[in-house]
Amino acid sequence: MPTHPASDPLAALDATAQADLVRSGAASPLELIDAAITRIEAVDGELNAVVLRRFEQARAEAASDDLPAGPFRGVPFLTKDLACPTAGEPQTDGMGATKAAGWIATETSHLAARFVRAGLVNLGRTNSPELGLVPTTEPVAWGPTHNPWDPALTPGGSSGGSAAAVAAGLVPFAHASDGGGSIRIPASACGLVGLKTSRGRISVGPSRGELSSFLSVQFAVTRSVRDAAALLDVAAGREPGDPVVAPAPSAPYRDLTTHAPDALRVGLMTRAPGDTSPIHPECVTAAERAATLLEGLGHHVEVAHPDAYDDPDRAAMFATLWGVDAAVKVTTWGNLLGRSLTEADVEAATWIMASAGRDVLATTYVDAVSRMQVWARAMADWWEPAPRGDGFDLLLTPTLAEPPVRLGTFTGTADDPFAGILRAGPFTPYTPSFNLTGQPAISLPVHQSAAGLPIGVHVVAAYGHDDLLLAVAAQLEQVAPWADRRPRIHA
Amino acid sequence: MPDDLSMLDATAQADLVRTGGATPLELVDAAINRIEKVNDELNAVIHPLFEKARATATGATATSDTPFHGVPIVLKDHDGSSAGDPLHHGNKLLKELGHVADEDSYLIAKLRAAGFIPVGKTNTPEFGLMTTTEPEAYGPTRNPWNTNHSTGGSSGGSAAAVASGMVPVGHAGDGGGSIRIPASECGLFGLKPSRGRVSLGPEAGEAWVGLVQRHVITRSVRDSAAVLDALCGPMSGDPYFAPPPARPFLDEVGADPGRLRIGIRTNAPAAMAVTDDECVAAAEDAARLLESLGHHVEIASPPALDETDLVDFFVAVMMTDVVREVEEVGRIAGREVGPDDFEALTWTYYEMGKTYTSIQHLEAIDAAHAWTRRVASWFTPAAGTGGGGQFDLLLTPTLAEPPPEIGDLVGTTEDPLRGMARATVFAAYTAPFNVTGQPAMSVPLYWEASRDLPIGVQLVADHTREDLLLRVAAQLEAARPWADRRAPVHA
Repeated sequence: MPTHPASDPLAALDATAQADLVRSGAASPLELIDAAITRIEAVDGELNAVVLRRFEQARAEAASDDLPAGPFRGVPFLTKDLACPTAGEPQTDGMGATKAAGWIATETSHLAARFVRAGLVNLGRTNSPELGLVPTTEPVAWGPTHNPWDPALTPGGSSGGSAAAVAAGLVPFAHASDGGGSIRIPASACGLVGLKTSRGRISVGPSRGELSSFLSVQFAVTRSVRDAAALLDVAAGREPGDPVVAPAPSAPYRDLTTHAPDALRVGLMTRAPGDTSPIHPECVTAAERAATLLEGLGHHVEVAHPDAYDDPDRAAMFATLWGVDAAVKVTTWGNLLGRSLTEADVEAATWIMASAGRDVLATTYVDAVSRMQVWARAMADWWEPAPRGDGFDLLLTPTLAEPPVRLGTFTGTADDPFAGILRAGPFTPYTPSFNLTGQPAISLPVHQSAAGLPIGVHVVAAYGHDDLLLAVAAQLEQVAPWADRRPRIHA
Repeated sequence: MPDDLSMLDATAQADLVRTGGATPLELVDAAINRIEKVNDELNAVIHPLFEKARATATGATATSDTPFHGVPIVLKDHDGSSAGDPLHHGNKLLKELGHVADEDSYLIAKLRAAGFIPVGKTNTPEFGLMTTTEPEAYGPTRNPWNTNHSTGGSSGGSAAAVASGMVPVGHAGDGGGSIRIPASECGLFGLKPSRGRVSLGPEAGEAWVGLVQRHVITRSVRDSAAVLDALCGPMSGDPYFAPPPARPFLDEVGADPGRLRIGIRTNAPAAMAVTDDECVAAAEDAARLLESLGHHVEIASPPALDETDLVDFFVAVMMTDVVREVEEVGRIAGREVGPDDFEALTWTYYEMGKTYTSIQHLEAIDAAHAWTRRVASWFTPAAGTGGGGQFDLLLTPTLAEPPPEIGDLVGTTEDPLRGMARATVFAAYTAPFNVTGQPAMSVPLYWEASRDLPIGVQLVADHTREDLLLRVAAQLEAARPWADRRAPVHA
């Protein structure tokens, strides 16, 4: 079968299609893995998406009779270099300190084990900014990942390595995580499907109960909606001792996704929450285009959003929790490495965030969590059926305030290392609020700018209704398909 | 109308109303008479709501389809607020200010919607911090079985009201054992539901980082099950919630639990306490009873229970909460507050809490989450979820000691932590399951031979398995009924 890098037809297939090839005997797992390795070797020099490679182990796993007979048997996969550890394998979380120490993970996460049981073959780890703290993927330790649509631009972050790899056709989907938008942002910037799952949908055990004060969830970026649904069937489900468990779907997601939802009531919002910063016209256009598509599908769209989304305190709450999380991560990595990490061990912006978080008293932190939980009720009321709530099913916004920006935009200067971080807020005004509320939200690649850059739209459902997002996503995918779009850099 | 309403559970009282045997006003008047008869001796009801209750009962329809139409209830003066009623949390400054709550907590609104009529609010230790009910603000609540003894806490006021026959049901909350401890000490049934079963809104998303659950203390198992049906279910914006039961909890009462594998343990976790012979005897007696009902009982418990005494974790959680409680009292008072406004233990926690950092707080939570998984993996998981535990239930004494004397658990100004150290002994068996979030109950099967003081036994199930606990509780209640046991102080 042809695996020439310049014209590898496998690069265009989603994971479901690749798994079907294995199931039907048209391709062996090893053939799929070898083709993916060839693709990575051919184009990753331009992208810098795959920073830790395990090609020989992957080939051995693909050739082994022990390869699990799961739904994605033999499909190539990549794992973000942040969280989701596999015992015995290197991982850096985007840090120079862990890279220099040659850190080897000591436990296997439930999620990594589920990926293995599904038959996926992991080819390595994808680039992440240090500790996943920023919406771009330019760690000092590994260098920047380039956007396949234009290598001068950011792929977004923090799951930018995974997004670049999937967009460029290296693998059909890849693990990703989202604490403030880190699945949705790179999905938007790279033209992919990025579902941030409901809080408690996917276990973060066994050693952890929550990540980033429950802000962060694990999942993936994919090209097709059906891949997202089928992979969620693999990833979701309670593990022993999970502190929070999202309600189970009524049927497998891959089945729910094929059923068109009843007419939905959708609120459209194209200004920034709190109207604090401008929204680029292309991003406004993207959301309006999605609104038109949804109306064409029989849904009702009106200009509306939850009042609480404009509450300025949401940014303060997020900043408190985010800073504390940075401090905890730096401390935790210090404990794992057996020494206290100092300013010299981390990037300047990381140190500033962690330093701010380190001084936060527990009571201040708990107060922020408590405010967040009360505010989340005001948000949730908008999705509650009338008369108790406002009776909306979905909120539709642009995913980002701008088309993908140039690499370096979020990098501080020697004089002002925090300047880049401050630039991140206006870039991502929509996404962090739903990490605070725990609601599911998805970025969908329904629009391209005049310059040909992907512009995602952001759809948010009530807590637990990941299935509704996938069903609507499948509808949009059908009427405005994106599978045939190719970025400039593609295997 | 029967002569002795005091011996009827809420279900029976509701049946009287339904069949025309009594009016809501007759039930409420009778409860008020009972409170007036014995409350001086017990000090259980600290805020009578008699006129309001009579007005509600007078305005009530003769019958309704609510499950507890016209049935009197008492509300704990903590763990939830009722609109227009005093809310003092056992604090002397709030008492002095005559603080009144302006809204109903969801669970109070749900109790009203179920037909209950609150006739009074019951005593609590300051902010629910102790395992006895002896606040300086309102004085000790006394045990109806022997007024020299504590009722346990923190829901001791509600427990004394139910045990003395004032009302059939008392609202309660449990952050370290505060439903189960007073249930054990007063000879009642007390079920702490699974984390997320009963919403803590709208005023909060969670309390004590998820340790606190709310429900009621009852005499009968069926009352507890039926009230849980009325209270459970997510409310808009809950940060997480327990997956809903497959069928009403009331349907579990009388349902066959099958043959269960039960582990028994009669030495306190992590050697936190020396278990009194009577408490060991109570658990062993329950084991024999369970075996006679066809269950398999063996000496076994989650090994992780011996890993940590959890004292530092609870102190950390409580002191962090106390800082916020003290600041809230200051806001209500509109002035600086000081040590004279609080009990010595509370103020000590406040001082300690002010130096506790968010990193310490989150490290403690992470450790608790990891520990939870090790405990949970001992239990047979719910169908369709992961894990390989083999045991359906854990059986222990509820307490390490029989009900202590009044004053035994109280600290002094010189040594405010003395009381806390003693109080810890009384939470040795209960507190672990606040950390894990599992459902646990105290069942009144045993009374001390020499002093006729009640000694409860605790049964613990996997997360969300209240159904299993209620089936077994009903089986035990049928095999060895306690409904006719009457405390010496009884209305």
